[in-house]
Amino acid sequence: MQGIRTIAIGFDGSSDAQGAVLWGLNFAHDNDALVVVVHAKGLLARFEPTVVNEEIEASLAHVCDEVGVARSSVRLEVVDGDACSVMLRMAQPPVSADLLVVGTRGQSAHAGHLLGSTSLELAQHSPIPVVIVPRS
Amino acid sequence: MMLIINGHLDDAGHEDVGHPERPERLRAVLRGINELHLDGDLLAVAPYSASRAELARVHDATYLDELGAYCYEGGGDLDADTYATYDSWSIAQFAAGAGLAVIKELQIRDDGVGFVAVRPPGHHASRDRAMGFCLLNNIAVAAAELTSQGERVLIVDWDVHHGNGTQSIFWDDPNVMYVSTHQWPFYPGSGAPYEIGGLDALGTTVNLPVPAGATGDVVRQALLDTATPAIEEFAPTWVLVSAGFDAHRSDPMADLALSNGDFAELAILTASFAPRPGRLALFLEGGYELGALQSSVTSSLGALLGADFASERPTHGGPGSDAVANAKEARFAALRIARDTGL
Ligand SMILES: [Zn+2]
Repeated sequence: MQGIRTIAIGFDGSSDAQGAVLWGLNFAHDNDALVVVVHAKGLLARFEPTVVNEEIEASLAHVCDEVGVARSSVRLEVVDGDACSVMLRMAQPPVSADLLVVGTRGQSAHAGHLLGSTSLELAQHSPIPVVIVPRS
Repeated sequence: MMLIINGHLDDAGHEDVGHPERPERLRAVLRGINELHLDGDLLAVAPYSASRAELARVHDATYLDELGAYCYEGGGDLDADTYATYDSWSIAQFAAGAGLAVIKELQIRDDGVGFVAVRPPGHHASRDRAMGFCLLNNIAVAAAELTSQGERVLIVDWDVHHGNGTQSIFWDDPNVMYVSTHQWPFYPGSGAPYEIGGLDALGTTVNLPVPAGATGDVVRQALLDTATPAIEEFAPTWVLVSAGFDAHRSDPMADLALSNGDFAELAILTASFAPRPGRLALFLEGGYELGALQSSVTSSLGALLGADFASERPTHGGPGSDAVANAKEARFAALRIARDTGL
């Protein structure tokens, strides 16, 4: 795909997010694009045990391994905010991503609702293309 | 002076067991008010549920439809922080209407101080998104009612988090000035000093970020040095306060170091921006440590009514004086660039 230089991938450590990273890393490799993996730190994150952060790091390392990409070559950004706003910010400088990639986790509790679905809300508000990677 | 509060306490249905934004918060607030022993000087106005038209001034119609339907179908998580239940839609409408009822009473009396003690809180809710525990933006609904009457509204937001929702709703509105002190960098990520308002309202957004550990003197310095001249120029006819108490040093949600004595001082300073009696109303936002919430409500409302109820002294000596000075510079630089270039 032409003109895609930087892609931002949302990552909460879940298996769905791993799928998004997997897809994103392969896509970046094929298109010679930079990858920024983004983890949103919400209001309740401060109550999470430090083990959660370790799990996120381990989960990312696992995907990198699977794709055969050095973990050190993938930038992980932990950003204050809710997942949707944080991803939207990636389209702005300094990251200026050309493509946003997310998994399907966080789907609304009720089918057909935009509310409660990070990926659909993101798709609705994003000024740049969004890829929603389906559950494998 | 009379304290005018809303009387809607039927909020128990908006609960997600174990979540810090919980019904006990409102009970702590009421204990804080009881500590003032106001008797005849306390007036609880009747609950009022905001109308569709009143909400639609600050929220998109599709968002209101979606939120109502989402709750009707049983609710659930709206994001990693924010929940809604079957009852949340009705409770949120009463929370948004409470400010309208309090303001109407203040207008009739031309005297007194208003306190809108409601949950869920509102200042993170934007036109079309719920987030940060907030569903409907209660203070924005009240401010929009006032501007529809030709008023010029100052919103002072001393909650520890930046009120991204309120800022975005009034970004281009020259009749609403939004002034926020908040921990930074921090959730929700917005609130940088160079965020100064849209082209139609340059300078009417005033962000005063302070670093973790900042004490009350630093927050007051930011308000006095940077915000006060802008507020005097704006000349508000009404002052509304997003009164979160999560900047208290005991609050588990953040890292500022304020005491209940600091909230008394902040209340007095904020009240000084109101042009006359009966033009000041406080809206509850955050505050998650019940003891600190209770004592801070007592101290700040007590101060506004002319009595010293603070059990903790105002705090001094924390970090942030440099950050306040730098933020002031950054704001002025952004204003210069925006005015020179029209960007
Ligand atoms: Zn807060």
